[in-house]
Amino acid sequence: MKRSRRSNSPLPPRPLRLLGGTGVAAAIAGLVVLVLWSIAAAASAEPAAARTPVDVRHLLAMTTIQAGLTTVLSLLVGTALAWALNRLRFPGRDLAVGLFASAIVTPGIVVAFGLLAVWGRSGWVNAAWQALFGAPLDVPIFGLGGILAAHVLLDGAFAARVLLGRLDAIPMARLKTGQSLALTPWTRFAVLDWPAIRGSLPGLAAIIFLLAFTSFPIVLLLGGGPANQTLEVAIYSAVRLDFDLNAAVLLALVQIGACSLVVLAAAGFGHVPASLGPVRQQRWSDRGWAQLAQWVVLGLGVLGFALPLAAILVDGFGTGLGALLQRPTFWRSAAASLVIASLSAALTLLLALALGLGRAASANPVFRTGIGVPSYAYLATPAVVLALGIFLFVRNSGISPDAAAPVVVVIANALLALPFAVATLGPPLDAIALSRGRVIRSLALGGWRQFSDVEWPLVGRDAGLVVALAFCFSLGDLGVIALFGTQDFATLPLLMVRSLGAYRTNDAAAIAAIMLSLTILAFVAIPRLFGAIAHARA
Amino acid sequence: MLVLEDLAYAHPVMWGNYSFTMTAAPGEVTAVSGPSGSGKSTLLDLIAGFLEPTGGRLTLDGVDLLPLPPETRPVSILFQSESLFEHLGAAHNIALGLPPGTPRAEVARKVATALDEVGLPGVGNQRADTLSGGQKQRVALARTLLRNRPVLLLDEPFSALDDDSRAATRTLVRSLTEAHRWITVLVSHHQDDIAALAARHYRISSGRLLLA
Repeated sequence: MKRSRRSNSPLPPRPLRLLGGTGVAAAIAGLVVLVLWSIAAAASAEPAAARTPVDVRHLLAMTTIQAGLTTVLSLLVGTALAWALNRLRFPGRDLAVGLFASAIVTPGIVVAFGLLAVWGRSGWVNAAWQALFGAPLDVPIFGLGGILAAHVLLDGAFAARVLLGRLDAIPMARLKTGQSLALTPWTRFAVLDWPAIRGSLPGLAAIIFLLAFTSFPIVLLLGGGPANQTLEVAIYSAVRLDFDLNAAVLLALVQIGACSLVVLAAAGFGHVPASLGPVRQQRWSDRGWAQLAQWVVLGLGVLGFALPLAAILVDGFGTGLGALLQRPTFWRSAAASLVIASLSAALTLLLALALGLGRAASANPVFRTGIGVPSYAYLATPAVVLALGIFLFVRNSGISPDAAAPVVVVIANALLALPFAVATLGPPLDAIALSRGRVIRSLALGGWRQFSDVEWPLVGRDAGLVVALAFCFSLGDLGVIALFGTQDFATLPLLMVRSLGAYRTNDAAAIAAIMLSLTILAFVAIPRLFGAIAHARA
Repeated sequence: MLVLEDLAYAHPVMWGNYSFTMTAAPGEVTAVSGPSGSGKSTLLDLIAGFLEPTGGRLTLDGVDLLPLPPETRPVSILFQSESLFEHLGAAHNIALGLPPGTPRAEVARKVATALDEVGLPGVGNQRADTLSGGQKQRVALARTLLRNRPVLLLDEPFSALDDDSRAATRTLVRSLTEAHRWITVLVSHHQDDIAALAARHYRISSGRLLLA
């Protein structure tokens, strides 16, 4: 039987997509290797012990304890909030859900500052307490308590939004059966809710643990001293404050090793949906004590999360804004932030599309894994460590780190958002290939027509979510810019830290308010804009 | 004539060995029936080119089709569902059957003619996900008209339709097959569809086609 070289797969042959995906995967894998090699080479080049004493065991223990506590508390808070939101019906429910969804993009430094604005020595609570009782209320906002509060605010809200998606997806027929059986609130949770959410918990726990383990700005702002220092902050201190590269390299290797273990463990857990999907109102509400408990949980959750954000906006857009707007450094930093965030968001989308389209064009499991895995390496490479590796490489190559800084910050920010971008765009592109590959191939649609008529209209809104996530991540990044920033090159988060260091609290408050506004605007507007563009194309 | 001679395939998952021999004539509907998992869809995938046979021949009017990839085979295919892109309008879905670069005026004219022929004038601007099951299959048939391929493969195309839509779509398939001299191969496990349409009927048994 005569045979020509051709593919019989239901997937259309797309050599350019395969090539593009392979090229991008190879490039980002190469960069991971480069970062590791630069750090390892720096470690071996200077064999002398670190100049400053480094208590790795204490740092590792402190980082693990705070990340572990954050994970447990966030999952508890998230489950309770999701349970309450799933049951209660009230005007503004969508707004409350959107508020919790925005936790994933709210910059850590902004939340930490918001907590200080509410619970700090000069915060709202203390002012009210003093007015009422004439004595200050000493809330331990600095230290482990403050770090946990900030992490649980962000990660608990994120967990609530993810788990709510699982609860809202419980099939209506199952709910009707439960309602007809008159299940008690507790039995309902055990029989209907728990099976729906338990599959997501291990993966969600791994993500939250990793976010807390590598958290930088919150620990920097609320840590309150060396006793509560984590690995990430210790690396930053070693490079920028102690100028001790040996210590930084040692800590970076420990950090990468620990994060890799978590990522490897998480690989075996269930998938956590990155695209959260629509929320659905329940028709079956609980009654009595259960409903009362749900209102209490929701009230505390909204108050706990919204109050710091409200404090940022009220304080920030108050007295300090006028003075800040007159400072040239602010405008330079704002422009740098917007340009870097836009470029890094665009780069993230391009890379994620190249990887997602390349992966979806192949049915070969080895190839698909090879294309998909390199981007996830950046989950195990925290921002400060990635920046340190690139910093060392740039310095060893004879390039001035100051000159390379803008490019490096754009690339590093894009890579740090890439795992989320690939997790968001990959599954829908795979699903389109699986369900529509035969029709596309039998219609002999070309690659561009497949993208513009079929894929883009369907993933346009997800692409918008990717751009919004990457934009907000980059806008709030402190880890990379902290190492590459200079007197002439700073972004808004770095300017905020510098303002705090110089005791210009009003400036810092105004910057936090501007960053929060930009983040909310980007998170709400960009996915809608992309959705509208994609829809118009359809 | 579409001719399959010992067209063989070994299914890697189902552990099935198939060897298909059949002929299908222009202007006729040739039906293939069999229980679930008997290999009906495998047969269509082999004809459409989505699976590569391990042996045998597949010819259309004496021309070997096996070297051709799915996109260049003279074949149109209609599935039970998901033949349309639901996010696109009906007209846009139909226009995908035309080669890229076709002038807009010509696209509009051809789409309108095709919609008329399948009895759906005026639905071109409707999104596919707002159409009924029967209307979706008619739109897919309209696209088949524009592609103008001599072989039409139907994979359980009436299964998701109610009785009225089913009868109307069956009539449309028969009239289009006769009018355009298509070689239509219908895979179905519904005896009603087969009785109403088929000029010849094969049954799959133990991986082989038997004339019923």
